[in-house]
Amino acid sequence: MEKIAVTINGRICEGIRDQSVLSLAMENGIYIPALCYHPEVASSGGSCRVCLVEAHQGGSMRIVTSCNYPVREGLEIKTDTELVKKIRKGILELLMARVPDSDVIREMAAKDGITETRFFKDEEADSRGKCIACSVCTLVCEEVVGVCAISMLNRSREKSPGTPYHKASNACIGCGACAYACPTGAISMVDTGDKRIIWDKEFRMVKCSVCGAPYIPEAQVDWIVKTTGKDRSFFDKCPSHR
Amino acid sequence: MAVDNKKIDEIISRYEKTEESLLAILQDFQREFRYVPEEGMKRLGEVLNVSESKIYAMGTFYKALSLEPRGKHTVKVCMGTACHLKGSGQILETIERDFKVKRNHTTKDMLFTLESVNCVGACAMAPVVVVDEDYSGHARPSKITDLLKKYK
Repeated sequence: MEKIAVTINGRICEGIRDQSVLSLAMENGIYIPALCYHPEVASSGGSCRVCLVEAHQGGSMRIVTSCNYPVREGLEIKTDTELVKKIRKGILELLMARVPDSDVIREMAAKDGITETRFFKDEEADSRGKCIACSVCTLVCEEVVGVCAISMLNRSREKSPGTPYHKASNACIGCGACAYACPTGAISMVDTGDKRIIWDKEFRMVKCSVCGAPYIPEAQVDWIVKTTGKDRSFFDKCPSHR
Repeated sequence: MAVDNKKIDEIISRYEKTEESLLAILQDFQREFRYVPEEGMKRLGEVLNVSESKIYAMGTFYKALSLEPRGKHTVKVCMGTACHLKGSGQILETIERDFKVKRNHTTKDMLFTLESVNCVGACAMAPVVVVDEDYSGHARPSKITDLLKKYK
């Protein structure tokens, strides 16, 4: 791994060649707002456009998405210039019009002093809920969990994540990783007693033998046992009582 | 329309058992059944060992693939700029009303599938309606209704 020096907002940061600008900024405590980037999901990012920064190299400047722009020796990043702020204002206003229900986006916009959007919402805005169609949920399901129960369906304005045929999926294990990873909290997961409902499918939860709290869906235990060979008795107790 | 499982297997057997064959097989389903049946996608997932959600996503992505049975004839009403200005919206609405069908859906008797498309490349004869492969230029709502009534 090749270590290189990158300047972010005038500060010299040491990074590893090819890591993303955003991850380097995070490591150095420099805040860049972002929605669709998830550090645990390798191919996430590049879709919400909120994390735009100025990238100066070799005398030229480009506006790039910091979440998937690889760092190189001598790269200079500026995260809060007037140009970046102006473009981000437009993007946040578009997102506010796209998903008017999202409190996450509203709060992110408020940090930049934006309270109103110039754009009007389209007919599908209500059915979209809080989803910005960034694909993080489907990527988590495929790359991290490995079950591929949901995919991005349709395209353009109607693009949204979903299960095949919009029915309860046989593949889904109810782990809820998609709901946890979603940047805007758009995926509904309801835990009531020993039941969990997600993607229109009901899961029975395993109870901890010590505290009695339901903590993991049976289907997820089956999946972990099947893929890792871990002993089933391991899941008798919840993580805090193991 | 009942879907023949033997036919599904026959179509799948025409291709190599790799993920790359997916789209070609789905297109063959579309040609054979006039839509992509759920049974076909399920079988395809088993045979190619591809997750069902990926196949379904592909089915929803391409406009050439339909997940609900299509009618015997496809009626495309051009909504390109020239046709739009020449009043193709009224043609579309007239067909929707007279044949009790919504755009991008199929009539109950499975005779017509109505589609709005974004330019068929015949702007000089706008507004244009295309039934199957036949182009009708300078279309007027009443003319098109009469024309469609001839189809069986």
